[in-house]
Amino acid sequence: MNHSSADDEALVKAARQGDLAAFEELVFRHRDSLYARALSLTRHEQDAVDLSQEAWVKGWQRLAQFQGESRFATWMTRIVINLCLDHLRRQKRHRTDSIEELEEERGGVERHMPVVNLNPTAGLERAELRKKIDAALGQLTPEHRTVLVLHEFEDMDYKAIAKTVGCSLGTVMSRLYYARRKMAALLASAREES
Amino acid sequence: MNPEEQLKVQALLDGELPEREAREILSWTQRDSAAAGLLAELKNTRQALAQSGPRAGLPESREFFWSKIEREIQRLEPQVTPRPKASLAAVLRRWFLPAAAVGLAIAGVAAYFHGRTAPVEALMDAGAPVVETMLADADATIYRDVREGTTLVWFSPAAAGDPVRNPKPNAVN
Repeated sequence: MNHSSADDEALVKAARQGDLAAFEELVFRHRDSLYARALSLTRHEQDAVDLSQEAWVKGWQRLAQFQGESRFATWMTRIVINLCLDHLRRQKRHRTDSIEELEEERGGVERHMPVVNLNPTAGLERAELRKKIDAALGQLTPEHRTVLVLHEFEDMDYKAIAKTVGCSLGTVMSRLYYARRKMAALLASAREES
Repeated sequence: MNPEEQLKVQALLDGELPEREAREILSWTQRDSAAAGLLAELKNTRQALAQSGPRAGLPESREFFWSKIEREIQRLEPQVTPRPKASLAAVLRRWFLPAAAVGLAIAGVAAYFHGRTAPVEALMDAGAPVVETMLADADATIYRDVREGTTLVWFSPAAAGDPVRNPKPNAVN
């Protein structure tokens, strides 16, 4: 079997039969996207490397459970997301929320934010836009960032997010709303500064 | 706009409202400037995020990253980590080569001992005395000495009184 020319489905089949080289090819193909997802949730480079590595090991162990209902990359992304959420929960136990964060959690702050009338990212180069958005994402709390990332980058609906994160639909809607409004404000102020 | 209305505007954008309610909220955003402004802002933010999904590359080489994963897999499953399925050539190499080696060894040993046993004719040509077991059914043994010009034939013990099978040597010259 020529691993580099085989499709994901064939590689998964081979890996299920114990072909580690086939699994290595899958890791090579999807390692960047998994790492990117872990990084967008954790905002910590080394944690993202470690968590994506852990996800690949779990993926190998659970290959028999992968029935092909979704793409392999999507299935792996779900694994890394769950690991990241566990990681963030563990961190939260050791973290003291600031007053602002507690206020955000209650969803009160966003009601007082003025609406940003202009598109704050219009006319920006893609690389510059990415940089600004990345910086703005870094200023959100893990809870808000998680909901935003799952909705915008993983195309999850409210119900799926609630199930993944383990909270109510109302909380998902509230966090998503806050995250979007805060992003809009941060992007607008970044544009003014530049 | 109250918080519930704000979340309805967002749900409209995300396609999370039932059809009838979606029509109502859409109609409301067309009449209410604050609602329209909020919908536009949420749309812009969503669009910006869609254009710039995070695209970070793993800051480790393929080999290094994989070596850590492989090591961890083998640590967790030392006895069950399966190996790649063997090809037909590998199976042949695994089973037939040892069998062929054993066969060759047996043939070598047989050839060695066969070489040490000189044929009767060769011994006779060299003039050495030869003992042959002949006529197995008749239990006869022949001693032949070419130099002495002597041939002795023994018949193995038989029932008493049988003169033919009596083991007395008979000289035949």
